[in-house]
Amino acid sequence: MFDVIIIGGGITGAGTQRDCAMRGLKTLLIERSDIATGATGRNHGLLHSGARYAVGDAESAEECIRENMILRKIAAHCIDETDGLFITLPEDDLAYQKTFVESCRKAGISAEIIDPELAKRLEPSVNPELIGAVRVPDGSVDPFRLCAANMLDAKMRGGQVRLHTEVTGFIKEGDTVVGVRTRNLQTGETAEYFAPVIVNAGGIWGHGIAELAGVNVGMFPAKGALLVFAHRVNNMVINRCRKPSNADILVPGDTVCIIGTTSDRIPFEDCDNVAVTPEEVNLLITEGSKLAPSLSSTRILRAYAGVRPLVSADNDPSGRNISRGIVCLDHEVRDGLKGFVTITGGKLMTYRLMAEMATDMVCKKLGVNEVCKTAEVPLPGSEEKSYEDVAKKIWENPTTAQKAAASRHGTAVAAMPTGGRRNDALICECEEVSAGEIKKAIEHMDVSSLTDLRRRTRIGMGTCQGEFCACRAAGLLAKAHGCIERERKDLSDFLQERWKGNYPIGWGDTLREAEYTQWVYKHVLGI
Amino acid sequence: MRFDCVIIGGGLAGLTAGLKLQSKGLDTAIVSTGQNALHFFSGSFASMQEAPAEIIELFSAAGIKLHYEKGVRLMPLGTFRDAELSLEDIELFKAPKFAKKALVVNLSGFHDFFASFLAEGLEKQGISCQIRSINFPELEALAKSPSEMRSVQIARIMDRITDKVIREVRMLLSDEDAVVLPQVFGLQDSAVIEQLRKGIPVRVVFAGTLPPSVPGIRTQMLLKRRYEALGGTFMASDEVLKAHLYEGRVHSIATRNLDNHFIEADNFILATGGYFSKGLRSNPFGISEPIFGLDVRFDENRSAWYNPSFAADQPYMKYGVVTDASLHALREGKALENVFAIGSILGGTRPELGTGAGLAIRSALEASNQILNIK
Repeated sequence: MFDVIIIGGGITGAGTQRDCAMRGLKTLLIERSDIATGATGRNHGLLHSGARYAVGDAESAEECIRENMILRKIAAHCIDETDGLFITLPEDDLAYQKTFVESCRKAGISAEIIDPELAKRLEPSVNPELIGAVRVPDGSVDPFRLCAANMLDAKMRGGQVRLHTEVTGFIKEGDTVVGVRTRNLQTGETAEYFAPVIVNAGGIWGHGIAELAGVNVGMFPAKGALLVFAHRVNNMVINRCRKPSNADILVPGDTVCIIGTTSDRIPFEDCDNVAVTPEEVNLLITEGSKLAPSLSSTRILRAYAGVRPLVSADNDPSGRNISRGIVCLDHEVRDGLKGFVTITGGKLMTYRLMAEMATDMVCKKLGVNEVCKTAEVPLPGSEEKSYEDVAKKIWENPTTAQKAAASRHGTAVAAMPTGGRRNDALICECEEVSAGEIKKAIEHMDVSSLTDLRRRTRIGMGTCQGEFCACRAAGLLAKAHGCIERERKDLSDFLQERWKGNYPIGWGDTLREAEYTQWVYKHVLGI
Repeated sequence: MRFDCVIIGGGLAGLTAGLKLQSKGLDTAIVSTGQNALHFFSGSFASMQEAPAEIIELFSAAGIKLHYEKGVRLMPLGTFRDAELSLEDIELFKAPKFAKKALVVNLSGFHDFFASFLAEGLEKQGISCQIRSINFPELEALAKSPSEMRSVQIARIMDRITDKVIREVRMLLSDEDAVVLPQVFGLQDSAVIEQLRKGIPVRVVFAGTLPPSVPGIRTQMLLKRRYEALGGTFMASDEVLKAHLYEGRVHSIATRNLDNHFIEADNFILATGGYFSKGLRSNPFGISEPIFGLDVRFDENRSAWYNPSFAADQPYMKYGVVTDASLHALREGKALENVFAIGSILGGTRPELGTGAGLAIRSALEASNQILNIK
């Protein structure tokens, strides 16, 4: 018996579980796939300053800047404080800049108009044709790391997590939801879990979960396509200073940079498998090159798409005008269904606030009087501000691989086995992931497949896209799980997943790498 | 500078053509950028329906022992594949159950060899299997840098301590009738392979590692050495920058390292490989051949280049330079009378010649014969 069951292992679910656990509740989180597989892991990884919403959606803008400042404190190891630019190009209306800056200031976002020449010095990759620039406190955030850290903290506080487990039905007593029926998608095992409150944090899939509980949450699935480039072309976030539109944000993240996005309504049945079309790729490259011209000659690593869980309004085919605002529904009040709460809308940036709202509602239902502390207590790994300091405290002369590991796990890197050939051998050379780091992830971070491992360590996210490291890591996973047959399938699945993001951009160096992979895996290794 | 034939590309196809022409008394040159598919050679030549006596002889003179049997071979992830013509490193079996009991030996800290996959694959065939790993202190020096534990670096060390390897493996053996070792032996010379087979009293099977392929690199080195011994000119780390075409013939080429001299030849062989080796170039709008601007067969609609399933055959790998029946390359629809295309640059345009390493040697012999006939 739990106090609360949370459905959904994205950032909203993970954040809600952490908040509930911090308030002393016995929690269980159920996720159908792996952590951060929905919209959480399929966006820019932008630490919004809120400036993008300032003109059109003041409420979202204010939420963003507040959360932005909080995340810098509590999630330091997940965040890169890059700052951002909103640039005006000759084809844009410079008059918009004034409205933009005024709206930003009204929302509490520091927005400083700077000389275009200064902007070029601050961010040499920016389009040199720019006629205006505003500096704002944007940044980048690693959503996988953020999600894992929230879940890890919940687990350290006694929370339980069931990944690869699907909710197949709700158990009701009269007008009250009292539990869930589940099935493990890897083993086929079924189980029932009970709690007085159940939180639906399923993102776009929350629509179906609500339906399963017998209530309706009208959602608007809006697909957004993005491209990952092989280099970190820019060091500051670059946005267009105009009404939000397609492909007008370029975000640096770790070793790469990401351009996006588009916005198109798609049917619910397509949410599980969204593919990027050639038209979207062309649009992203054309528009992206206007932000940073060198993108047109930079190798593209991957194309991917996510689905925003917007709450629907009528007569808006693109979904751009829907508020990105948070929706927290008490189904008892709304639909007469007791013990069921839906938290949706919102965005990665405001996950903590969403979690706080959902947890407040849960606590009210349970009669618990604990206040929210998630805005003050740092996430595990973020107790120190700089990963360089973290690395130096553990190793006298940290190697680049050790620094990279510290940047991924923050202070939690101290628990990573190091030293000797067995631990220090590099498995992924692009992202410098060692065998020790992989072993730690397998043991402590609920890893059941190579793709899971990628979300926790960045293995296979670099230039070669897992060409060799997939095989090496498969060896380690096979050892840990003791099942080779499963690992063979895992390796095939990993290669398929990688190809899915490669073929929409399959030319130039990407096609060279793809051909090489075909030869190596099919003819040399004989998969 | 003037040659009878200039070969562009120093991989398996280019070297084979060079060896053959040079051994028949032609004066040839090979221009090589350095990277080629031998670096990830499995050790078997695909699609060889019969034993090519000529190739076996040509390679044997270079110190490369090939053997031909219709059989199956062990793949690095524990599966079995049909194979015929292979390097001596590769054991060919009548059936996958090649032993009763096998010992799979890895080197500790080496992640590019898949002992557990191999063991499971063998168990599936009814071969009972043990995995052991040997800790050679000689490898410590490599382990200091975490990316040095790779096949070629390891082979350099193992080749110096072959006797010790034999002793250590013998110590691990109990009642096994086969031992499986990673392909990290005999980088310079396959004598090490023979020595291991002689010194270890049971059947020794070598299974592949992640690239680079030690037997592949050895093969390339030996072919190149033989080619040079026959008087061939191997221009390493060089690249063709431009070509002079005149009335349906290539007159000369210019390379980066010899930028002020044109290299003239009666015939040219293009063996620059597929996409990876940059023999074919692609952009969002099409696929081209960068040196001579040859005709390339591909689908105008980019979506048709790919099969969304990784496991399926990929259409883009079938695209390649268009040739006439005697492998003359076509440009703007017309055959260039002294230019031949061989190897992976043909993609799947000549299915009757096979794929991969098989296509490389078969098309190399075919084009060489054409040139020798003209003479």
